[in-house]
Amino acid sequence: MSEDIKVEKVLDLKGLPCPMPVVKISKGIKEVEIGQVVEAITTDPGTLTDFPAWARTSGNEILKTDQTGDEIKFYVKRKV
Amino acid sequence: MDEKTKTELLTLFKNKLNRAMRYYLDTCTRCGVCTKACHAYASTGQVRYTSAYRHELVRRLYKKYFKLQGKVWPAAGEAKVLEDMTIKELYDAAYSCTGCRRCMVYCPFGIDTQMIMSIAKLLLVGASTEPELLTMLADMSIEKGKSMDVFKESFLTGIKKLEGQVVEKWRSEAGETVIPIDVDGADLLYVALAGAHSIIPAAAVFNAAGEHWTLSFFEAVNFGAFVGDPTRTTLILDRIISEAKRLKVKEVCICECGTAFRVMKHLTGPQPFKVSSITEVQARYIREGRIRLDKSIVSDTVTYHDPCQIARNGGIIDEARYILHHLTDNYTEMTKEPKYNWCCGGGGGLVAMGEETLDFRMTSSSIKADQVRKTGAKILSTACENCHTQLGDLNDHYKLGVDVKFLSSMVADALVR
Repeated sequence: MSEDIKVEKVLDLKGLPCPMPVVKISKGIKEVEIGQVVEAITTDPGTLTDFPAWARTSGNEILKTDQTGDEIKFYVKRKV
Repeated sequence: MDEKTKTELLTLFKNKLNRAMRYYLDTCTRCGVCTKACHAYASTGQVRYTSAYRHELVRRLYKKYFKLQGKVWPAAGEAKVLEDMTIKELYDAAYSCTGCRRCMVYCPFGIDTQMIMSIAKLLLVGASTEPELLTMLADMSIEKGKSMDVFKESFLTGIKKLEGQVVEKWRSEAGETVIPIDVDGADLLYVALAGAHSIIPAAAVFNAAGEHWTLSFFEAVNFGAFVGDPTRTTLILDRIISEAKRLKVKEVCICECGTAFRVMKHLTGPQPFKVSSITEVQARYIREGRIRLDKSIVSDTVTYHDPCQIARNGGIIDEARYILHHLTDNYTEMTKEPKYNWCCGGGGGLVAMGEETLDFRMTSSSIKADQVRKTGAKILSTACENCHTQLGDLNDHYKLGVDVKFLSSMVADALVR
């Protein structure tokens, strides 16, 4: 977990191929309140472009993206 | 349904009525030949999953609003009024049809159920009752096209990380770019999916063949086509067409994604490049001696599932077998005539809708599971992302005990240095 971000829900999306990570985050974000944050952990490099594009079109915000080894962590704030 | 909405939907309907569509809607004689062609009917026995039943929902609207008989004497023409209940029925018909066109090859008149269902899907889009998820995915793809400069660095970072895995499959020469991107004047533009599994094996094979290639910034899949929205379909397609023209490539090679191949091959009109599936390209490399495969890598019996959009609807049938016969001596067909092979049950956007459609996908495809089991094969190969996911789900659900593999991955793993 990122030290400065309070995470409400963690989604383990490791190993999921396109488009499942985006499908899961789009559903998962609706399971927290507006203003709360979901941490999504992926391994698919396609999510590096998919998630920002999804956030733009859905009106949500990616607060931070961390890459460690093969893992990519997105901290997504529900805005709508 | 209010009159304004109805008028708008009927305008959408009218715009779909080209000569071919009118032929399909005017011609059905209810001979019933198509009845058992649908995997959903064959698996469940429910009449609502027959092709003719699906057609009829659209056809009765057509009779009501676009044929004289339906206008003046609707009862005789079995005309149907467009109302909210009709929209629900259209949803059920459109999203239980995978668009595999197996019924079309049985129909003596060649009626194209997928085309008729495109009216149903368009009406759902017009009524804002289409699967929200598919529209969301389509919009995400369009956004990537509009804001590529914003996403470019992330994309390049992600791709760079894959290079080591490509080199493990095929060692590149010093100074050689392992995954070339944005190469002006490349011979071939490879359009992958947004996943490592779609890029790594393909890159290894391109490098082994000495191909002058470049990777597309965009993913191949067209969610606009899944949801039946012509505007979104075109916007998603245009990203790739523009890139291919900008780079002046001679060939656009579509990854193992059936819908992506069908849409790029058949819906783009004349272009200054040819469109190929990766299966065609890899078969060509073998034929030309540009790659060689080691038959000792695959020891178990292999069978092959023909992705409907690549085989029946795209004509790529012999190429897959040509590759497989260079991969193994233990190949067994699952059907005598691949053109009539059963659909996996995951197309038309059903797999992309994930768990929402899982129960239906499993119950409507038991006939596919039976077909796979009867081959006795241990490896189930295919060349489509949707099919791969659906076959994996069927494998788990029906305990088929097979290893579902992408054909291109099998090629990459068997490359002879």
